[in-house]
Amino acid sequence: MEKITITIDGKTVEAIKDQPVLMAAKENGIDIPALCHHPELENSGGSCRVCLVEAIQGGRSRIVTSCNYPVRKGLEIRTDTEQVRNIRKGVIELLLCRVPDSEVIQNLAAKYGIKEPRFFTDEGESDRNKCIACSLCTQVCEDVVGVSAISMQNRGRDKAPGTPYHKDSSVCIGCGACAYACPTNAISMKDEKGVRKIWGKKFKMVACSVCGKPYIPEAQVNWIVRTTGKERSFFDKCPDHR
Amino acid sequence: MAGQVRKKVDTKQIDKIIKSYDKSEESLLAILQDFQRSFQYVPEEGMKRLSKYMGVPESKIYAMGTFYKALSLTPRGRHTCKVCMGTACHLKGAGQILETIERELKVKRNSTTEDQRFTVESVNCVGACAMAPVVVVDEDYSGHVRQSKVMDILDKYK
Repeated sequence: MEKITITIDGKTVEAIKDQPVLMAAKENGIDIPALCHHPELENSGGSCRVCLVEAIQGGRSRIVTSCNYPVRKGLEIRTDTEQVRNIRKGVIELLLCRVPDSEVIQNLAAKYGIKEPRFFTDEGESDRNKCIACSLCTQVCEDVVGVSAISMQNRGRDKAPGTPYHKDSSVCIGCGACAYACPTNAISMKDEKGVRKIWGKKFKMVACSVCGKPYIPEAQVNWIVRTTGKERSFFDKCPDHR
Repeated sequence: MAGQVRKKVDTKQIDKIIKSYDKSEESLLAILQDFQRSFQYVPEEGMKRLSKYMGVPESKIYAMGTFYKALSLTPRGRHTCKVCMGTACHLKGAGQILETIERELKVKRNSTTEDQRFTVESVNCVGACAMAPVVVVDEDYSGHVRQSKVMDILDKYK
């Protein structure tokens, strides 16, 4: 890991070569809003466009997505100029039109002083009311969980994540990693009376032997036991009582 | 699709198509195209068997099937009838022509007749504005189509 120095908002900071600008900024206490990037997923990011910054290198200035722009020698980043704020505001305004019901986007819009979007909104399209089609959920399902139960379907403005044929998935383990990763809380997951419901499918949950609280779907335990060889008895107790 | 009688798909035919290709992810799209040609759509059973054979998650194959316009998840007709709705055709009465077809074939636009004879689509421009209004059946272009004559054109296709 080669350490180099770059400039972010006039501050000289140390960063690792090829690390995303977004992470370098975060480590140095500079906050850039971002939705579709997850530090655990190498290929995530680049689709929500909220993290746009100005990158100056070799005398040339470009607007780039900081979540997948690599740190290089002599790079200068500006995250809070009027131009950057304006462009970012435009992106957020368009996102607000797309998912007017998302609290995350609403809060972001309020922060950037957007009251009413100027464009046609997709209000009332309940299917994908909060989804910005960033595909973080499908990436988590494939790369972290390893089951690929969901994928991005259709194209253009109909693009949305889902299970094949919108049927109960035969491979989903009900782990809820997709719902956890979703930046706009668009994936509904409900735990009720020892049953978890996600993507239209119901999963029976295992209860903790100490507190009696159902905490993990049986299918997920089976999956972990099968893929990692962990003892089944490990899951008798919830993380709080282990 | 509502009211549509779906024939049971021939699983032997599905396996025959799959087995004729290499066991490699690169063959996926070609196999889906072969399904489309053989069955006029990509059957669910086909995706399931393909996923098993290739070891590729079904969700990924489904994503491909919904992404490409050339692939359809519901059976398409033996013939495709495209009614141009571009600006020129629109002004020349393409709307009434499409309505006539919908009424005579008892079909809604962008769907298939019950007897699987036609899939009727409205398209945005076929690049033959001088011939407006244009109706395209399979590969045959008909120009200056009149409402009273459009069914004569379609009658040639069985």
